[in-house]
Amino acid sequence: MADLRLDRISKRFGALEVIPPLDLTLEDGGFLVLLGPSGCGKSTLLSIVAGLEAPSEGEVLIGGRRVTSAHPKDRNIAMVFQSYALYPTMDVRRNLGFGLEMRGIDGAQRHDKVTRAAELLQITHLLDRRPAQLSGGQRQRVAMGRAIVRDPDLFLFDEPLSNLDAKLRVEMRTEIRRLHDRLGTTTVYVTHDQVEAMTLATRVAVMKGGVIQQLADPQTVYERPANIFVASFVGSPAMNFLNGRVVVQGDMPMFLPDGADPVRLAGLPLHADGRRLVLGVRPEHLSLGAGEARLGGVVDVMEPTGPDNMATVRIGSASVIARLPPRSGLKAGTPVSLALQADACSLFDPDSGARLSLGEYV
Amino acid sequence: MRPVMNRRTALQLGAFAGLGSLIPRWALAQDGSVSYWHTFTSQTEVAGLDRVMALFAEARPGVTVTPEAIPNTEFMTKMTSAVMADARPDVVMVASERFTDMAAMGALVDITERVNGWERRGDYDDSRFAGITDAEGRIYGVPAFSFVDWMYYRKDWFDEAGIAPPTTLEEMRQAAIALTDPSKGRYGFGLRGGPGGQNYIVNVMEAFGAPVQVGDTLSIDRDQAVEAIRWYAGLLTQDGAVPASAPNDGFRQVIEGFQTGQTAMIWHHTGSFRDIASRLEPGVQFGTLAMPAGPAARVARLGYAYHAMSSEANADAAWSWINFWGEPDAGIAFLEETGYFPASTTVAQDPRISQDPLYAPAAETLGFGSVYPLFVGYPAWVENVVLPAFQEVLIGQTSPEGAVDQMVAGLEDASR
Amino acid sequence: MSEGRFWALLLLFPSLLVITAVVLYPTATGFLLSVQELRLNRPQLGNDWVGLRHYADMVSDPVFWTSLKNTAVWVTASVIIELFLGLTAALALNRGLPGTRAFAVLILVPMFLPNIVAGHMWALMLDPRLGVVNDILMRLNLIDGYKAWFADPSTAMGAAIAVEAWHSFPFFTLLLLAGLKGIPEDLYKAAAIDGAGALAQLRLITLPQLRTVIAAAVILRVIGLVNSPDLLLVLTNGGPGRSTQVLSLYAFQTAYKDFDFGYAGALSVVMFALLMVFAWAYVALLRVDRD
Repeated sequence: MADLRLDRISKRFGALEVIPPLDLTLEDGGFLVLLGPSGCGKSTLLSIVAGLEAPSEGEVLIGGRRVTSAHPKDRNIAMVFQSYALYPTMDVRRNLGFGLEMRGIDGAQRHDKVTRAAELLQITHLLDRRPAQLSGGQRQRVAMGRAIVRDPDLFLFDEPLSNLDAKLRVEMRTEIRRLHDRLGTTTVYVTHDQVEAMTLATRVAVMKGGVIQQLADPQTVYERPANIFVASFVGSPAMNFLNGRVVVQGDMPMFLPDGADPVRLAGLPLHADGRRLVLGVRPEHLSLGAGEARLGGVVDVMEPTGPDNMATVRIGSASVIARLPPRSGLKAGTPVSLALQADACSLFDPDSGARLSLGEYV
Repeated sequence: MRPVMNRRTALQLGAFAGLGSLIPRWALAQDGSVSYWHTFTSQTEVAGLDRVMALFAEARPGVTVTPEAIPNTEFMTKMTSAVMADARPDVVMVASERFTDMAAMGALVDITERVNGWERRGDYDDSRFAGITDAEGRIYGVPAFSFVDWMYYRKDWFDEAGIAPPTTLEEMRQAAIALTDPSKGRYGFGLRGGPGGQNYIVNVMEAFGAPVQVGDTLSIDRDQAVEAIRWYAGLLTQDGAVPASAPNDGFRQVIEGFQTGQTAMIWHHTGSFRDIASRLEPGVQFGTLAMPAGPAARVARLGYAYHAMSSEANADAAWSWINFWGEPDAGIAFLEETGYFPASTTVAQDPRISQDPLYAPAAETLGFGSVYPLFVGYPAWVENVVLPAFQEVLIGQTSPEGAVDQMVAGLEDASR
Repeated sequence: MSEGRFWALLLLFPSLLVITAVVLYPTATGFLLSVQELRLNRPQLGNDWVGLRHYADMVSDPVFWTSLKNTAVWVTASVIIELFLGLTAALALNRGLPGTRAFAVLILVPMFLPNIVAGHMWALMLDPRLGVVNDILMRLNLIDGYKAWFADPSTAMGAAIAVEAWHSFPFFTLLLLAGLKGIPEDLYKAAAIDGAGALAQLRLITLPQLRTVIAAAVILRVIGLVNSPDLLLVLTNGGPGRSTQVLSLYAFQTAYKDFDFGYAGALSVVMFALLMVFAWAYVALLRVDRD
């Protein structure tokens, strides 16, 4: 059990700076998901934590111990790879116990630990097989078993579910969650899948271009995204964005989306008159119900998904998606007025993309 | 300018127009293309061949020669394959020791009639054809040039040590011992115990009274042969008068050893005179001697390179190329480039040869020299049995008796 | 026969024809030679069938047994050394250190030299008079005087094997390098985290992963070594004595010096049979076909 601290870590390949200096802390027992599109530096960051790559500058501390220049094997970590990286010539039993074997743990003790891990992951019946004889899900379980068998300070997962089909992915996601709830081992988990991040993490670091855009608990990331990038990367379907500006009608400040009618948004300050803004609203915060803030538009496409009816609505020059209840009776071409849940909206600066809080206008 | 239209261009035009088949047969009598396999590889040899070919093209323009150089070591392999595949060239070069095998496997064409009817036949001593004539008297080729076995010695070292040039094998041995000084890296004799050394072993045995072939009989006098092997190998194993590399020394090593001042004497033939003279001054640093005499005989081989017809497909053109080497111009041109003796008795009387004292030992050898043993399987026996057995004596793996026993057994196999 | 099978056979026919022409015909010819009298320079002996006489002769032929023993030494030692050097070079090149790209080309140079050329080159370099190798060894005080490597039976085979290893190890480098590129990088990362050192990684990951490639390379090389006399032909011609005489050289000499194609054919058939047994046993032992 240990916490993780990255202190001014940076990584350069020649002149190319992949990760500008960054700080990060993860509390003992926490589950940190590094989330971002491919090439955002999340895997490099994980490799630096694992010791598979050296940082250009900065320090890595695990459990308060400085391990920046320590060999991976001396960091007391375990890692699960996207490709599983099971040793093809060894049976499952030896794969599970290999880390212990290399550390000189004697046979009986090894047997106990392997047996316990196998039971935990329900792979006891696979112990005598070779990796080639296992299905993808089984291999994933073995790879996880190999990680937990050593009872490490830190679990590292590198896109562990990416090679699985959709159904199995959901199943294994739950498995990882259960495992973490049970073992409570500090974990760093790399993925590009925002659902995995939401379901697993205690903390999410959304990354882009080697820079952490937002580091927060998943709910905060979802509800109060730090910028347009985070807002658009997290959530499916993505958050809707409307470009527009503040107008004051009478003594009432309103938001005027480009090419559409003004929307009454509580809390916009008077002196913000004329300022350009981006309004971000998630599909589930648009409804057909009552409310002061309304957006008028025309239905473009209706896509029923079962529990919901996803409506693409043209509003001025933009188009938004609303998550509506099934059987709403709307058809393409119908004019519609959507109620906006104003307190769930986000405002962004159109130039920097940064989130704006109302106070910032003052 | 008057348009030139000779028979050759007419022929080409005819062929070009698709009329080649209409040209009368007689018009082609002396014409054609001759494929020619030879073993010339050194620069001087290639230059000599170029000269002869240029003369030929001038003198007999109707025939084109397409030469192909085949290294000596690969020659029989290629020849054998050509016989197996029935793809023989028109003309081949035949070294003396290969004649019997090549004739036996049907690689050569009987050209007795052409030779006997040849206007230059009289230029040659009858003995020059002995080595290319089979037991039934059929002649298969025309000698082109000859190699006479002799000895090269470091005249300067002998003079310095006050030793007279040897005339017997025993004198040679004593001189070799006297001139050996391993601390200076100097040895008395460059013994060829590697590739190509096989013939000298047979020669030494004959010099000690154990000839392999007498008439049609193949046999070895065991006691004399053992003495011969004991003496010859003893130059290394007993006397230490030979470089330790002898069991692997072939042509290149032996010549280089002499050229670079490692050895005082070597056995070779007239063909290497130019090579050696390029590094050492003739008559001052080195001299030539007839092969020394053994207790029973004085043995030196007269080797010839013959030209023979291998395929009858272009017989007339092939014969034209074969007999051209008997023309004085060709023989002298080749001699000028290579130093190789013309086989024609007439050409060999050229003053450039007859008046050079360094060539005197060769002329002397022509008097007592003999041809290689001529029996089917001789080359294989000397190379695959005699040489390895002798090497085993050199490296101490067997005794002279053991080696001779192997040779006798091999000879019995060969004469089966 | 159903129509489908008929068509299948018809479509297979061209390939069967090619296989027959390319593989079976020469093999059968070789075997037929071995039960025939075929001495090119002794046409009077005829071309009769002699049954297994050549094989019987072989049993009492001391040169055959010497050659067999030498072949075993020559092939085993060469392959082991070549595999070791090839693997070392492949591992070094696979690390992708700067400058290795140029080095990778350089290391393949020996392989581009024909056997004959390589042989002559080394014969010169090992020459007891002019050879640079003797000179270097003298300067390093490793030998007392210039040594005639190919004239001494205790060093001739060793020197020839050294030349052969130099000439052919890039073959292993090339194949093993390709094999190494195919091993997932993650395995090494996992092993590093599990605490496996470089040697353990080599033993437990690299070598097992290369097993198939190594097996194929070894079989190919063994076949080449057993069948090709070129290098020894140039370096020693089987000497001194018969200390480097091997089966391929013996068969070559029997065919092209003795012109005894029957006996040479029998020698070739024995070599062929030995190779078949070797390949079968080797594959079975390594269980290459598994997983």
